[in-house]
Amino acid sequence: MHNNSLWIILQKLRIPFIVIIIGYTIAIIGLININGIDDNGNAYKMTIFDAFYFISYTATTIGFGETPYAFSYSQRLWVVFSIYLTVIGWLYGIGSLIALLQNKTFLNEMARVKFRRQISHMRKKFIVVLGFNYVTKEIIKKLLANDIYVVVIEKKEEKANALILENYTPTVPVLVLDAHKAKALEQAGIHKLNCKAVVSLFEDDTLNLRIAMVSRLLNKNIQLAVKATTQNSVNNLKDINTNIVANPFLIIANELKMAIQSPNLLKLEKWIYQIDRLDTHFERFPVGKYIICGFGRLGKSISNELKNENIEIVFIEKEKKNIKDVVLNERHSFIIDDADNKEVLLKAGIQTATAIVAFTNNDTVNLSILATAKKLNEKIITIAREDEMEDFSIFSNAKIDYLFMPSKILINIISNALINPLSDTFAQAIAQKDEAWAALLVKNLLQKINANPLLFELSIQSFQANQICDYLETSNEIALSFFEISLRNRNLKNNVIVLLLKREGEITLLPSLDTPLKVDDKILFACDENAKNDIEYMTQNPYEFQYALTGEEKKLFNKGIFK
Amino acid sequence: MNLDKVVSGFFIILAMTLNFGFFYGDLDSLEAHSKYELFAAIVVNLIATTLKLGDRTQMGSVLLATSLVADIQLIAAAIVWAIAHYVYVIDKEIVVIIISLSGGALLANITSVALYVGETLKSKR
Repeated sequence: MHNNSLWIILQKLRIPFIVIIIGYTIAIIGLININGIDDNGNAYKMTIFDAFYFISYTATTIGFGETPYAFSYSQRLWVVFSIYLTVIGWLYGIGSLIALLQNKTFLNEMARVKFRRQISHMRKKFIVVLGFNYVTKEIIKKLLANDIYVVVIEKKEEKANALILENYTPTVPVLVLDAHKAKALEQAGIHKLNCKAVVSLFEDDTLNLRIAMVSRLLNKNIQLAVKATTQNSVNNLKDINTNIVANPFLIIANELKMAIQSPNLLKLEKWIYQIDRLDTHFERFPVGKYIICGFGRLGKSISNELKNENIEIVFIEKEKKNIKDVVLNERHSFIIDDADNKEVLLKAGIQTATAIVAFTNNDTVNLSILATAKKLNEKIITIAREDEMEDFSIFSNAKIDYLFMPSKILINIISNALINPLSDTFAQAIAQKDEAWAALLVKNLLQKINANPLLFELSIQSFQANQICDYLETSNEIALSFFEISLRNRNLKNNVIVLLLKREGEITLLPSLDTPLKVDDKILFACDENAKNDIEYMTQNPYEFQYALTGEEKKLFNKGIFK
Repeated sequence: MNLDKVVSGFFIILAMTLNFGFFYGDLDSLEAHSKYELFAAIVVNLIATTLKLGDRTQMGSVLLATSLVADIQLIAAAIVWAIAHYVYVIDKEIVVIIISLSGGALLANITSVALYVGETLKSKR
């Protein structure tokens, strides 16, 4: 039996029902046995029906009066008794029903039944998001905007209520249950065919790993987007074929590396993740001495990423145990002390340092360190990170030179990977490129398109590009340059740059424009709104396709008729 | 000994016996069929039904179903009788309908008792 709530109602209503039935029976038996007097003064006894009729309207407090004849006093005495018996029976029954409707177990059960119904009615593809916080909230918004349904499992009831208050359209079903239970994932419909992915971004790495494993066992085709904060858990996740592993500390370390090595790559990445525009002014971090306060998971990632750079790094860490098993690079050194102290900063060489990075896990301490550092060395670059995303940020008011926002990147990485897999692939692929390549691409994008080009993905498949598919299938050839054609005038070109071509698992960055197209190709464009419109038109509309291909208007009827 | 079992067993069997008591007798006259016995059968059947409510096992569901069948048949018999008595005449056809309806209910009650006994025999406690 799946419908628990009905059974709970029935079980709880047993006694009230029996009380009502017995009350009625006693009252009816009394009435049919007591002598009454009819209009003509003859003695009579009520029939069973008369008695049932009278008790029915009396017990429910409707009260039609005495039928079929005015009652005798012995009948009235019995009726007084019956009224108290049956009316109390009814009140008790209704009271129990109302108490039941306010019962916590019952309400939870009802919510679960509703959730299950919502899941079983889900026909389009959906994604299960675990936990509701400011990161997942943004991801949910982006998924919904792209026509992907979302199901949320949240442990705390108040957060679930906050989600309900958001009033998402389409509705986001929410299950109040601890996500680490396999039952919760199963109820959220993870085994369904149209469940495409599970997003697990908890703070706790082991919890994430467990969820990833359980999800993989329940549905081996599902995509997993999981957060991990240490190299070890990243490896574990990769072992169970996790598709998207996001490590916020690695993200920051990489960003720092890029800021030193190739600022244009960083610019491109920020544009892909929609954090900044391409024309945002950004200066390369100079090579020199860096002081990094805090050596936790983030410090380790940085030390790991920057070990091949020609940079001198001084780590300041308060806790001795954090740096126990660290193998030191010759350019990296440690000071074990509290960083929020003028003497310590001077000892670390603040006056000759190029930058100070405050990455301890306490925001107040971070701000205080940066303020002290700025006083000791006016030219120093201050760098901080901001974890919480709030409307009002103390960091943005603190005049910090560079602010890392790992949660914002996390949101964009996860949602990009789920919604626009190609742009995510592109972001990963460009990380291998050098500064000169990136600088050229940024220049091209700025010149040819604008400071914030759209990213547009196209698959040469019949649902998205039926015209091209049909044309290719009759063994014709079209080159990539076809997408540059302007529909206003086919001799002019639209502002399009082809960023990436994915064919049979192989990725080509900036493919040459005379590459012939094949069915099942996936293409990533950077373009403006107008070019995107044109591409959509000529891939799907036969008239526009014909014009772009030949420059002639396609005729609806045979030419001969209207000549 | 389980008091719950005693009570529900009592009502389930009483429902059947009362039903039988009403059904037993000539099929075409109401002389041997007391309306009070029908009334008692209906009440006891309703109580037996409520006692079976909310049992989520397979057996519980089937027991509930048989009880509901008996209720419906007996109440239908009572309704036919009441209508015939007040707005119509009780002729032979009506009598046969009333008695055969209660006969159907008897069958349902017998099934119910059989299942109940079977389940009790299966139980090791």
